[in-house]
Amino acid sequence: MKAAITGWAWRTPLGPSVEGTVDKLLAGERAASPDLGIDAGSYRCQLGAPIRQEPAPTSQRKYLLRMAQYGLEAAKEALSSSGVLAGERLGVFAAVGGLRVHWGDTMPALAKQADDGQGAWERGLGKLHPFWLLRHLSNNAHALFSAEAGARGEGVTCAGSNAGAQALGAALRSLESKAVDAAVVFAYDSLLDPEALVELAARGAATQAALPELAAPYDARAAGFVPGEAAVALVLERGERAQDRAKAFISAADGADASSREPGVAALRRTLARLDARTAVVDGVGLARPDLDALERTCLADRVGAESLLTSASAALGCCGAAGSLVQAVALAESLRRGLLYPIAGLRKPAPGPLTPIQEATRTTSRGGLAVWAGAPGLVGAVRVELP
Amino acid sequence: MTRAVITGVGAVSAFGVGARRLWDGLLAGRCAVGPLRSFDASAFTSQVGGEVPPGERSDPSSWNLPASTGAFIADLQKRSLLRDSKVLFALLAAAEAWQSAGCGSKDSDAGLSIAYGMEQAFLEDLVPLIYGDRLDFTREARVGLPEIRIRSVFDQASSLIAEMLGITGLSLAHASACAGGALAVAQAASLVERGLASMVLCGASDSMLNPMAFGGMCRLNAPSPRNSPDACRPFDRRRDGLVIGEGAAMFLVESEERARRRGARPLARILGWGSTQDAYRLTAPRPDGVPAQRAMERALRRARLAPEQVGYVNAHGTGTPLNDSAEARAIRAALGASADPIPVSSIKGAIGHLMAASGAIELASCLLPFSRGVLPGTANHRERDPECSVEVIGEAPREKRVEVVLSNSFGFGGQNATVILGRFE
Repeated sequence: MKAAITGWAWRTPLGPSVEGTVDKLLAGERAASPDLGIDAGSYRCQLGAPIRQEPAPTSQRKYLLRMAQYGLEAAKEALSSSGVLAGERLGVFAAVGGLRVHWGDTMPALAKQADDGQGAWERGLGKLHPFWLLRHLSNNAHALFSAEAGARGEGVTCAGSNAGAQALGAALRSLESKAVDAAVVFAYDSLLDPEALVELAARGAATQAALPELAAPYDARAAGFVPGEAAVALVLERGERAQDRAKAFISAADGADASSREPGVAALRRTLARLDARTAVVDGVGLARPDLDALERTCLADRVGAESLLTSASAALGCCGAAGSLVQAVALAESLRRGLLYPIAGLRKPAPGPLTPIQEATRTTSRGGLAVWAGAPGLVGAVRVELP
Repeated sequence: MTRAVITGVGAVSAFGVGARRLWDGLLAGRCAVGPLRSFDASAFTSQVGGEVPPGERSDPSSWNLPASTGAFIADLQKRSLLRDSKVLFALLAAAEAWQSAGCGSKDSDAGLSIAYGMEQAFLEDLVPLIYGDRLDFTREARVGLPEIRIRSVFDQASSLIAEMLGITGLSLAHASACAGGALAVAQAASLVERGLASMVLCGASDSMLNPMAFGGMCRLNAPSPRNSPDACRPFDRRRDGLVIGEGAAMFLVESEERARRRGARPLARILGWGSTQDAYRLTAPRPDGVPAQRAMERALRRARLAPEQVGYVNAHGTGTPLNDSAEARAIRAALGASADPIPVSSIKGAIGHLMAASGAIELASCLLPFSRGVLPGTANHRERDPECSVEVIGEAPREKRVEVVLSNSFGFGGQNATVILGRFE
């Protein structure tokens, strides 16, 4: 099943508009910075790609922390741009990441606790804000978007590092079964929380380089990705309904293996096998570790051909977890619309291997492209976008 | 189109570890809610819950699992990797479902579709901070922070289940609050019907019976202020809030063809499902119940059933004033004139509200009408409420043969889900 994309929006480390951000992608800019907005001076990973602008003021702020506010913004903007009307036939499919403790809300309740746990309620838990749990509710952005937009159709909220692809899959099945006429799919995630930065560095996933030494994904010197964050939304409709409002068409697949770390060859191959591979353009996840990059390139080459062009939006935007597949879909589709493929930002010395990693914006006549996403534990997402 | 059937089930609840313990408790009309024992809740605004018996959590002999899966779980416990109860419950229920379906290494292509918890972080992981542990975000972290995230990601339990059972299929992790369990099963059926998977282990696990999550619920004033085992009184005139429970339920859902091919005996068919959103408020259902009504109507349409073909409704029935009256209106509206004679019950009075796992555990209870010819009762339902004018089964279970059961799950945030099961013959 493939569906038409009739609306999109995002908030990324390189800006809030699709056009402006893709301009920067094409210019080879990258968002990596040592200014993370937190004191990361003692962390192994000291680079990240944060979203710079503050979320727009909203009455829902009391329920939603920063990333969810971006998610809500992107979903509303995408719906508005699509021209789709809300109602009982509009579904909402959301994707969130993993552990995201809201430390600012939580630490005051923990700060005065006794070591023996006695009097936990009086020492802080009883002073939690009444909305504390609602701010931690896994589907709060989903719920508040539905309420604001008046979307009353089917929906789910998915979680995990490939949650964007999971949510896309659920939306596509819902559209195919005609349970909904349109679906808003939105995802948000940040890998810039303290516990994520520490954990990602501890297991060698995130870079420990300083900015001048930072190597891009697929570079021979690659040594970990830049943790990033993003919120992104798509509005999907069946092709016959969208007609000339279609910006692009999208299909998606997700997969897994039993690994506790990044997925292996078999999971990548199984997932990619479920999508049409007729393309010469690929956006890779770019985990920026020589072994994983090589494995990814080999799997992709088997599927799309060893001469295909390889780029990676995450080289510029950072690794944005659950939002990854949707970010790739928007970046790739907008790039194909322009006939100009963005480079792998910062790539100086491509590691040897199949596919052609591109180092500068490159003309393309391709009408379709494939993107692959991966993350721990053993999860894969893949999307294919095609121009109308 | 391929039809999806349930061929295995596993459950963990306040009645104990194992689906049989759940069914036996419900058949006996017992209530397993009681004073909280796993932490000191004396100063909290609520002090009762549907706790999984503490002794059974760490006693492999009470699990009735094959040696290999039992040893896998016990080893994780020894290595302190199961501090979050919902991961333990998920593993126990998954192992039982896998075993009861007769699955083994030849079924490694199975997928997963599982809901965990209703909070963005696994709050139970923070509990040690109350007890003197300290997180150290420095280069020389003393606390094993890599493990902290590993313990905490939504898909951690899925990853462990996959490792335990040798499963390498796709993996969906649901985070749709109290509708998560039902949606996880619905998505599994959808994958099977569309040929994207021929076998999916699905369900949900949750526990909010720890100081952090329970404290948050208390601050939200969600639990009943009564501190007695009969605090949760679904559809009762005197109802005043929910009781929090914990546990898990998992199902082996597969195509009818695959089940027939491998000689598995289906426990039920998944006939249909539907979901909607209230688009109203985070913590209150839409009073007219219309979106919940639409979820039931969609499920009926998908199942190609007329309302009068439904023989039993397993309600969400939280025991809160707003939910139960809205749900009763929705049931009457969705099932039309036939609503009066269709028996309705809620098992939340007996085991509490399992939050994300509520839809799954309630679906497990929906297998009772098919296996034993009995409809579960509604513990603590003693006074009929005119605002809830449906045929509520009282505290005692009711013997009745039915062909079709309908189960509702309505989540925080207004996500509604209905799943319809049918007798397999």
